[in-house]
Amino acid sequence: MNHNNNFQQSSDGRHDDDAALTEFLSSLMGYTPTIPDELVEHYLAKSGFQCPDVRLNCCLCFCRIRLVAVATQKFVAEVATDALQQCKARQAAVVKDKRDKQQKDKRLILTMEDLSKALREYGVNVKHQEYFADNPSTGMDPASKEE
Amino acid sequence: MSDGGGESGSKHQQPHTKRKFSGDDFSQAIAKVAVAQICERVGFQTFQQSALGKLADIAVRYINSVGKAANFYANLSGRAEGNVFDIFQGLEDLGLDQGFSGASDINHCLASSGIVRELIQYANEATDVPFAYAIPHFPVVKDRKPKSSFLQIGEEPPIEDIPAWLPAFPDPQTYFESPSQNERASDSYTEKIELGKQQRKMEMSMVNLQRQFSESGPSSFVHGDSSKEKKTVESNPFLSAPLHFEEKEVSSVVLPAKLSKEVALQNPVAKKHVVDNHISVMETFAPALEAMKNRFCESREEQKNIQLDQRPPVQFKIGVGKKSLVKPLKSSPQNMDGGKIDPWFCKENENDERKGDLKIF
Repeated sequence: MNHNNNFQQSSDGRHDDDAALTEFLSSLMGYTPTIPDELVEHYLAKSGFQCPDVRLNCCLCFCRIRLVAVATQKFVAEVATDALQQCKARQAAVVKDKRDKQQKDKRLILTMEDLSKALREYGVNVKHQEYFADNPSTGMDPASKEE
Repeated sequence: MSDGGGESGSKHQQPHTKRKFSGDDFSQAIAKVAVAQICERVGFQTFQQSALGKLADIAVRYINSVGKAANFYANLSGRAEGNVFDIFQGLEDLGLDQGFSGASDINHCLASSGIVRELIQYANEATDVPFAYAIPHFPVVKDRKPKSSFLQIGEEPPIEDIPAWLPAFPDPQTYFESPSQNERASDSYTEKIELGKQQRKMEMSMVNLQRQFSESGPSSFVHGDSSKEKKTVESNPFLSAPLHFEEKEVSSVVLPAKLSKEVALQNPVAKKHVVDNHISVMETFAPALEAMKNRFCESREEQKNIQLDQRPPVQFKIGVGKKSLVKPLKSSPQNMDGGKIDPWFCKENENDERKGDLKIF
């Protein structure tokens, strides 16, 4: 009995999951992600993921492309949120020091610093050049420059 | 959205280099726009150019890696086409860095994985922001128009061995030279020759002007030049037939006329240099004039005469010669160093020794 009950429960659980999944996939048809389908299709084709012709309005294929698009959107949104938190934390620190002044720059700028910090958690190492020089002798001592 | 100015303090102009467009630029630009839209919805107001570019690049790489992983899992299962579950597995692989609920459970059903749940949650919460532009389907594949075969044209192939279903040969007009083209080419050639003649005439007249300004000197100079001018017009050496070997005697290297003139005039009367400006002007122009004469004149005898007249007594060892003349006057009464009897010869010996060293080496 127990075994049957367990089996039933697990199957119900599975059924729920399946139901949720099918519901989600069908809802994808109505949901337009920010990342366009053509772009995702292009890069998926580049990486080898074979997809039958989308122009035939194949529902299954649409699902796959939309799925990848939503997943990428979620990823980018997460990274951007982390970067935003970094930016806000930096601005809060500055404001904390000088409370006399008004709130400095209300604009939130996506900078390389915040982005690299946010991406480090995702395993992506982004290193940015501090500056670029015009010629090899920039910033050197004048004595060595003459040489 | 506008760009943030936080990259560099000083504004320097970017060099005007020709920008090379690669095939991927279009899709990269679209990715930038899409990522910018996402970031705007998250809360950002402005972006740094480089930061936006980097994030777009990473998003593209994410799509690529999902596709790669999904294809791998499909192939692993023995399928050529990937399906939704392959994508889920790919997403799981990529999400292992961040972690999701149920990641440690290797036997779990894909439909109930944490990734799927998070995705469903995100899709339900996020508001629908479609892409800003309408994009055509890309990449666009150009329709290639196949060349018509012999059969389609209705021609017979020129050679028996060529089958009729092969594409036809192009029109002979496309590869045969037409006579009108040749005439045009020869016309340009004659035009060039005439231009050259005109230029040379102009040069000669300029030289004559210079001589006339100098005024002085024997009038024979001027007359001689006019006669030579006629010669140059009649027989242009550049248009004459090429000479065979040994037809013409080629002269040896001659000292520049200026140097030879100075040496020749050292000894004779100094009064020439004193007052008369015209003569000095003539002297300065004479080498140039002689150079021109050497170029255009065809008679070798005159040149030889000039050379013989102006051949200097001392050759190439002017500096050394002076030293050698001075030294024996000083050293002969003293005779300090035993070996130095005749430094003139000694110097030559030294040179020989040096040369000998070079030879041995």
